Amino acid sequence: MACFRRYATFAVVLGAMFLLVGCSKPAPEAPPPPAAPPYNPVASIREVMNSVIDPNVDVVWNSVKTVIDHGKPIEQAPKNDEEWAAVRHSAMTVAEGANLLMMPGRAVAPQGAGSLSPGIELAPDQVRALIDKSPSGWNQFARALQDSLQPALAAIDKKDAQALFESGDKIDEVCESCHQVFWYPEQGASAPAKSAAAR
Amino acid sequence: MKRNIFLVLLAAGALCAVQPAHAHHAFAAEYDNTKPLTLNGIITRMEWANPHGWIYMDTKEPNGAVKHWMIETAAPSQLSRHGLKKADFTDGMTAVVKGYQGKNDPGLANGRTLVMKDGRSFYIGSVGGPNDGAEPQ
Repeated sequence: MACFRRYATFAVVLGAMFLLVGCSKPAPEAPPPPAAPPYNPVASIREVMNSVIDPNVDVVWNSVKTVIDHGKPIEQAPKNDEEWAAVRHSAMTVAEGANLLMMPGRAVAPQGAGSLSPGIELAPDQVRALIDKSPSGWNQFARALQDSLQPALAAIDKKDAQALFESGDKIDEVCESCHQVFWYPEQGASAPAKSAAAR
Repeated sequence: MKRNIFLVLLAAGALCAVQPAHAHHAFAAEYDNTKPLTLNGIITRMEWANPHGWIYMDTKEPNGAVKHWMIETAAPSQLSRHGLKKADFTDGMTAVVKGYQGKNDPGLANGRTLVMKDGRSFYIGSVGGPNDGAEPQ
């Protein structure tokens, strides 16, 4: 009888051990290394600005304006479906182009390029340092650029030339604000010359 | 389809065709804030446009020759805020513009103030210009 008890106790302990082993979580596996992103930035930020953002935002800005020639105002605005489509194409390109600016891994300028205005506008490595210091700030400006195009797109869809004209102000404000932080932060107010040359 | 794309590109080209170059650089990259100038002449044209307005002015050189100037101003919304209207630009109007010389173009300037013949004065400076007291506080 005592022998039976010993075997029974041993069987219960053994069973409990199997249960414990069976119920315990397996050791977590190390997460797989992140896959390389499928995209491949080809152009630098400077090239995206020069090739995508700037020429297209100029189309948006210049689509509605007044030219006063010798006192005679000439109102300019898209005149037909093709011209409205052209402005929409450019507004959409700028809005989507803002995503290109946010993509990680994009160089600031082509390799070996320097500041476009040394001493006034920062060199690419200085711009990179500012972006790396505040990537969220950089992305917020890019999103603000994207958002600033929404009133323009809405105006275009309504073919509302006045609203499109008024939307240009906010777009410019966002551009200038970002440039003052990441491109030419040292260009605050400066002292003018003492005398003006009269002509 | 190809025709539509062609028309869109053509329309975009037409919209850009006569625009002054715009690159959105720092003020000091395009204008020399050590070279202030005062232009006294006839305004022949004004472009009330984003992101900057442009005043076209003819001045007389000491030798009598006419010099053509392109003067950058603030955006139209800011000009309006400072009281300037499109209707202020009349045919043959004379005015005085104070501003700064362009760095790379002898006919380019950045305007700070515009004084009309009737004595009205407007601040027309764009963002990022020098702190020269021209901007109303």
